[in-house]
Formats: sequence, C-alpha cells, structure tokens
Amino acid sequence: MPEYIAKKSALTDFFKALSAGRRLLTPQGAGDQCRLAETAPDQVKLDYVNTHMSPKTLFFPQTEKLMAFHKDASKPDANIYSCAGDKAVPTVVFGLRPCDARGLSVANKVFQNDRFTDPYWKGKFDQTVSVGLACAAPAPQCFCAAMGGSPYGLTGLDILAFRLEGGDLGLKAGSEAGEALLKDLKLESADLAAVFNSQQAAAIQAQGVAPDYRPIDEANLMALFQDPHWLSTAENCLNCGVCTFFCPTCHCFDIQDEQDEKGGVRMRNWDTCMSWLFTVHGTGHNPRPSKTERVRQRFMHKLKYIPLKQDGVRGCTGCGRCVAMCPVNIDIRAVALKMCQSSAPSQA
Amino acid sequence: MNNPYLPYPVRIAEIRVETEDKNLRTFKFEFLNPGDEEKFAYLPGQFAELSVPGQGEIPIGIASSPTEKGFVLFTVNRVGQVSSWMHNMKAGDVMGIRGPLGHPYPLEELRGKNVVIIAGGFAVTTLRSTITWLLQPENRPNYGKITFIYGARSPGLLLYKEEWMAWEKRDDIDVFVTIDREVPNWGYKVGFVPAVTKEVCPPPENTAAVICGPPVMIKFTQPVLEEAGYKPENIIMSLENRMKCGLGICGRCNVGPEYVCKDGPVFTLAQLNKLPKEY
Repeated sequence: MPEYIAKKSALTDFFKALSAGRRLLTPQGAGDQCRLAETAPDQVKLDYVNTHMSPKTLFFPQTEKLMAFHKDASKPDANIYSCAGDKAVPTVVFGLRPCDARGLSVANKVFQNDRFTDPYWKGKFDQTVSVGLACAAPAPQCFCAAMGGSPYGLTGLDILAFRLEGGDLGLKAGSEAGEALLKDLKLESADLAAVFNSQQAAAIQAQGVAPDYRPIDEANLMALFQDPHWLSTAENCLNCGVCTFFCPTCHCFDIQDEQDEKGGVRMRNWDTCMSWLFTVHGTGHNPRPSKTERVRQRFMHKLKYIPLKQDGVRGCTGCGRCVAMCPVNIDIRAVALKMCQSSAPSQA
Repeated sequence: MNNPYLPYPVRIAEIRVETEDKNLRTFKFEFLNPGDEEKFAYLPGQFAELSVPGQGEIPIGIASSPTEKGFVLFTVNRVGQVSSWMHNMKAGDVMGIRGPLGHPYPLEELRGKNVVIIAGGFAVTTLRSTITWLLQPENRPNYGKITFIYGARSPGLLLYKEEWMAWEKRDDIDVFVTIDREVPNWGYKVGFVPAVTKEVCPPPENTAAVICGPPVMIKFTQPVLEEAGYKPENIIMSLENRMKCGLGICGRCNVGPEYVCKDGPVFTLAQLNKLPKEY
C-alpha cells in the first residue's frame, strides 16, 4: 500500500474532508488538561504529548447507563428493563498515540470476546474512525517499544499520521477501512516507506535500550504467581486504583442499580481490582483478601493472563500513565523485571 | 443487536421455602414473553443472573433441568441486597433473568461412563438439574451406574426432599443422603460427606465424579477420591466467585487467565491444578 501526503498548506481541508459526516475529536488542552474534545477542522493541534486519560473513554465511559425501567403500574412494561444506552455518534478521532490505539485493540478483544459481544462498546467502536499520530520524540515515561509496540505502530488504527519535514503529514493506512478512506480523500500518494522506517527506527532508539521481558512469556504461570517478591512489590501500594483508571487496557467495571419512586436505571461504572470489595463473596470469603494478592492480580493480568488469552500480546502498552500517576512510584517496568527474575530457572 | 445485559422478563409463579431456617427459597419463574424460553436454552451446570429492577443482579445456578418445560427454577440463599429483597417478593411479582451463562457440566463427554455426584449443603442446585436430566428416559441409557451422595448439617437443611426421596425409590440411581449428627427417626446416613464418599463411592474405572459444595467439603472429599484412584481429569467441579457481568468482561471473577463466568464455572481438577487458588 502506498502512503499519502496531506500538505501543510491544506491541513484544514484535510481535516474537513476527514470529518465529513462525523464529529472530529482531537487532543486539546495542555498537560493534565489534555483530553479528546470536539474540534473544528482548523483547530487541530499536533504539538501535544498525549491525552491525560487514556482514550478508552471513547467506547467505555467512566459511567454509562445500560438500561432503564419505570414503575407506572398502568402500563404493561412496569418494572421491566429496556435498553437505554447512549446513541453512538459517527466519529473520527485524530491524534491517538500508537500505545493507546494498541490498548484499545486489547480492550476490544475483551469487550468482543470469544463468547459475548458488549453492545455498548461495539456500538461506539464501529462508528469510530481511529487516526493516530506517530511519536517522533518519546516522553520521559514512554516505553511502548519495550512492551512490544512501536511509536509508529499501526495496531488498532485505521490510519497513522506522521510528520514530514516542512510540516506536511504522511499518512499510512492501518486497516482496509483506513485505506478506502484515504483513497476517497483524493490525497497525493507517495512512497514514504523509507522515511517512515527511518523515523520509526530513530523514535525507538530514542526510548533507550529496551529491557527484554520475554522470560515472562516463557515462564510457568504458577512459578510467576507463587514467587515471594509479590510481598515486597506490593508493600508500598495504597490500593488507590489510580493505575487502573488511567490504564488504556483496564476494562473492569461494576454494575449498579439506581432508582427513585418513578423508576430506575442500571449503570456501569469503572471499578478497580485494587479494591477489597471487588472480589469479596457474599459469605465474606475473599479470594484476594490483601493488597499483595490484588497487586499481583494487576501485574499478572497485564503481563501474563492477557498474553495467554491474546496470542502473546501484552496488556501493558507502555503508555507510562500508571508510572507517572502512582503516588508511591510503583513502576510496572521494575515489576516486570522482578517477574523475569522469578521466572529464571532455579540455580539451586 | 442482541444485548446480553438485558434480562428476560419473568413472573414468579411459585416460591417454596426449602429449609427450616427459611434462608433458602426456590423460585419458579415463567417467561412473560413467548419465545424467551426457547432463547434461554440451557444445560445442567449453567447459571443465570437474576435481576431485580432497582436492586441489582445475582449469579445463581439453574436448579431446573432443560427437560422440565414451561418454567425455570432457582434456589436462592438469603445473603445480600438482591437475595434478601427476593425473599420478600411474592408469587405474581415480575423480575428478570438473563443467561444462560457459563459452560454446563460435560455430560456429552461423560456418555458411557459411571457418574458419581457429590453435593454438600445448598450447592446441590445445579446437581438437581443434572440428576433430573440424567434420569430422563432418553438420557438414562447413555450412562452407566449413577451414584448420588448428598450431605447437609441437619435434616431440615436438605433441599429438594420430595425429589431425592423419589430418586431413592428408583433402581437406576444409588442415593446416599447424610447429615452431620444423629437425630431421632433419621432413617438415612450420618457422617460428613468425605466419610460417606469413602464408604460408598464406586471404583474409579470408567467413572467421573461431579462435586459441588462448600470449600471445606471439597477440601476433604478431593483426597478421598484421589486415594480411591480417581484421576484429576475425571473430577469435575463448579466454582463460584463474585460476578457482575457474567460475560467475561467486568474482570472480577478470574482465576488466573480464566473467567469463572465465561470460561467456567465448570472445571476439571486437572485444569484447576494448573491455576492459582483464587476462589
């Protein structure tokens, strides 16, 4: 597939054409105010680092109405739930970072798994065109390459944009839908493979030497699980859950009913495996009773369980949010290295 | 698009108090909408989310057998918000059920084998479904000897009395019901389930055991079966964990990489031996 060029002088026209019939969401605001927001085609910014929160909110808002019922006994459907999800709006999101796009593709395989499809996720997912912006220069917390991704990765994207010298945007299709859309936009096509590859190599190199986490992939699950390091790894953890809220692949939620005298709704709200309540049984028994089990769960889930279920793809994409946000400086890279050591063959 | 979160509306046709402590009641539901019963096609060992509008949902094993038409049965222990609310509901009230969820017991794979079914306390629910299914004239000839061991603390805590008493009179199933301590006029066995299992369980050749019960019962019954020569592949168990979605998405019921709701709740001991004991 050839690449395409959106000229610097015609970027507004490009975004106008890209968002024809769709709302355009792009990162707006700086620092921890940076978030995906509806944007006019002439207001798109290219100079952000990344959105503060992960883009999972696109398809999985922090709180979401699933269904509703009323208590009007004169009607036959009193006290019977009916669907009440928000209607999905055709959307193009521009400026996803490849780590986050990869995160969305991991979460997508959970919400559309081997047995069930989550209609609330799918409705929004199917209505969204995902356009990424490659990361020429990594931020201090970035480690996508170490986790098997790339700052120029195409996973989970319909189109990846990368900046060319002089301010033009190179565009590369990541899906058939993306390829079709690029063709429709009637852009200048060009062979940018060499530029793309050299930019990608430089961006990966800028992240520094990547540790080799493959021993975790090869290790026995129970050996990783039973290793004594979890006690010290979890020692500082406050179980605050900020890592899970910021993580692009964390998908856990709670379902809660809310009602008044007229009727009620069934909501789903983000939940966190760091919470004691998350797993406690009605009997009071809790399979993950202390923070040691809960911290172990989070890292085993990211680095062992998800790869086992998703053909080796890790549940950590190296976006670095949990590292930046953790109040006690727990670093998933350091935990991964401990897991590598615990999985090393015993010297004894 | 099919919405697996949306319950089928059902009417409570009947509520039966099962135990002397009144903590267990069996709810007989009838589907309100024609066609929903067919959509809710299930097999023994599967579960459903019982939904009370405004209160929430609880995952409960299906106690009826798919061979029983026109209704579904669930036996509910009074524990939390939803189950307590349900215990105050009346016949005629409307609520919801969604499912079936999870995988059934591997009854197809057990064809031609002897089956020993071991139940403790109110975990007997999906085993009532299993036995009812196995004893159907169209299913019974496909299986060898069937043995049912069922224990509870006292006679008043045994569920489904009419049913197991009827099974006991049949000659195509061996029924051993036991209580923890001797009481007057008790005509059946006395002792804990592991001890009774040791005494009556059939030889392991061409035999599978299906166990459902409280953790302490499983803990002491498992070694009895292993000593008797049962292989982990032939010991089948059903797990419980806290659940919300039942679809393998909300994340809380996992045991290692497996979700109890979507990938279980039925596992063989051979499978569980390779997984963390987070249940």
